[in-house]
Amino acid sequence: MMDRLAYLWPEIALFIAACVVMVVGISPSVATRKFAAVVAGLGVVAAGILAWTTTPSGNAVTASSGQVLLPGLALYAKVGIAIVALLLLLLKPGTVDRAEEAAIALGVQKFDALRTNRAEFFSFFLFSVMGLMLVAGADDLIWLFLALELTSLPTYIMVAISGGAGREPAARAQEASVKYFFLGALGAAVFLYGFAMLYGATGSTNLNAIHLSLTTGGVSGLALAGLLMSVLGICFKIAAVPMHFYTPDVYQGASPSVAGFLAFVPKTAGFLSLLLLASAVGWTWAPGENGLTVSGGGTSLPEPLRILFWVIAALTMTIGNVLALQQKSVRRILAYSSIAHSGYMLVGLIAGPGDGSFTKNGVAAVLFYLFCYGVMNVGTFAVLSGLERKTRDGQMSEIDSIEDIRGLCATHPRLGWPMAICSLSLLGFPPLLGFWAKLPLFTSAISAGEIILVIVLGLNSAIAAFYYLRLFGAVFLEKPEAGAGEVTASPFVSRRVAAMVSAALVVALVVVVGQLTDASRKAAAPKAEPAASATIPASMNH
Amino acid sequence: MSNFLATSDLSSYLPIFLVTLMAAGFAIANFFITMILGPKRDGKVKGETYESGMVPMGTARKRFNVRFYLIAMVFLVFDVEIIFLYPWATTFPNLAHGDSNAIIWLSRIFFFLLTTVVAYVYGYRKGVFKFD
Repeated sequence: MMDRLAYLWPEIALFIAACVVMVVGISPSVATRKFAAVVAGLGVVAAGILAWTTTPSGNAVTASSGQVLLPGLALYAKVGIAIVALLLLLLKPGTVDRAEEAAIALGVQKFDALRTNRAEFFSFFLFSVMGLMLVAGADDLIWLFLALELTSLPTYIMVAISGGAGREPAARAQEASVKYFFLGALGAAVFLYGFAMLYGATGSTNLNAIHLSLTTGGVSGLALAGLLMSVLGICFKIAAVPMHFYTPDVYQGASPSVAGFLAFVPKTAGFLSLLLLASAVGWTWAPGENGLTVSGGGTSLPEPLRILFWVIAALTMTIGNVLALQQKSVRRILAYSSIAHSGYMLVGLIAGPGDGSFTKNGVAAVLFYLFCYGVMNVGTFAVLSGLERKTRDGQMSEIDSIEDIRGLCATHPRLGWPMAICSLSLLGFPPLLGFWAKLPLFTSAISAGEIILVIVLGLNSAIAAFYYLRLFGAVFLEKPEAGAGEVTASPFVSRRVAAMVSAALVVALVVVVGQLTDASRKAAAPKAEPAASATIPASMNH
Repeated sequence: MSNFLATSDLSSYLPIFLVTLMAAGFAIANFFITMILGPKRDGKVKGETYESGMVPMGTARKRFNVRFYLIAMVFLVFDVEIIFLYPWATTFPNLAHGDSNAIIWLSRIFFFLLTTVVAYVYGYRKGVFKFD
């Protein structure tokens, strides 16, 4: 009973921080109120340290205390999540209540606890990160579902309240939130139905037991239907085709600080759960007679599942990149780029763990890519949230159009350079972090024999170069617009800090790329003894 | 080694399907049987809204203060608290005397109670209980 608790210390730390934030954030005193963001930061730091020190991994994980399919996953994922969450938190100050706080400071308006959103905003941030960490530690379909929903539900409200005081941005944020919510509910219903069918086919909600049932009894038609529906539903979380339609509208409608959050947190939750589901099926299937797949001996997913992932990956990359070419809004470009990156990562998922060495291990490649994508993506969204211009009704709002970032390296070098570096890194330009992240995806897919998919991946990287270089060229080469004076730096310094830290990490982490890839390889390593020896746990009645 | 498309045992779901069919059939059948067999007598009093024997008055579309919504939310906090407290309270005495798990059980429920207190404090400071 207590061994289960060993997984949850980081989440408990985040939960306590969220409780404190909820009370501190509605204090009538300005100083106390502003302390809420600091408390949230301390909570994330504490969660990161606890994840580093207390999360069991490798052979310390038993079938009664967690999933033994990827026993190192929780440790790696939780520490990585804490680091990126801290960067994301730097974008958050000033997203809500900005006009109210200004009016209170001028003495025009009195503080009304009922009308502020600060406490909710920061505690929802913490709840969502907590849900993401719970996804990383999931060993059961019910746990996985609840954790995925805990990740998503706060984000719907964060989108809705992130619009600020201007009438136009506020309306756009609310519209985005409603779109996001209804499509999210649809996605959740689809993968929950898939989970139910998976339970019906294997007789258990425990991932270890499902693995045992599928590898010994074969994938039945019902189990396959369950898997396909689960994957389809989770495609919503990772913004993959055909569940990608909401992405550009939501990323554009929400403030960039929340859009950056959406690009990392739900996507990581989706990929972690896809990795868990795929490892429950196992990459041990080989082609059998009559075009069917048999368990054991092989190195790929069951053929129908592999084809599904293959088609989704190819379509997601291509549609994301091609549609990004036509956009004029930087937020929409980044949204389509986020779709395309999901497609890249699915390639690693198809390749599977290979023989365990890093260059051939697709699972490690996905885990490494998720962390790198989190770090470099924060930078681009931080630049957008660090710049603003007046809307028609006189409120300040974050910039959107690509015209507004022209010549940024000259006018705002502290924001221009991070944009240049991060967009080159997203492109995968050597020697930046994005290049090292993309490389193992290629090598693992080649060693898994997915040559056509590798060609698609290579072509897509070339297409992506066009719009990433356009972003780079806009900030670095072009002259500022005549009316560029309208674009001013945001008064919230922490956003600039986030942009610079992110860009610095994109450059600096290259030095320790060996250690990072080693950590992700350990996270993707199976347990020393075969996972099939895991018995169906008698401890279901926790 | 096993065949990939092992036959899934869908026949075990047959009882559920039958019960669903029976439920739907029962409802539909009753609907039509009462339409055919039931006597039809109409009157002014009979056409009135049934309100447990009281004579209904006014309209149902009355406006009410939005604060009731907040009160309902606070009620929900305590409602959920009871749902978790009740099974805990009935199983806690079953622990053997001196069981080492007792302190864990007790501290867990206190942690849970603390979280509901936080929800209450949040509601209080948000001004849910202020009526002016």
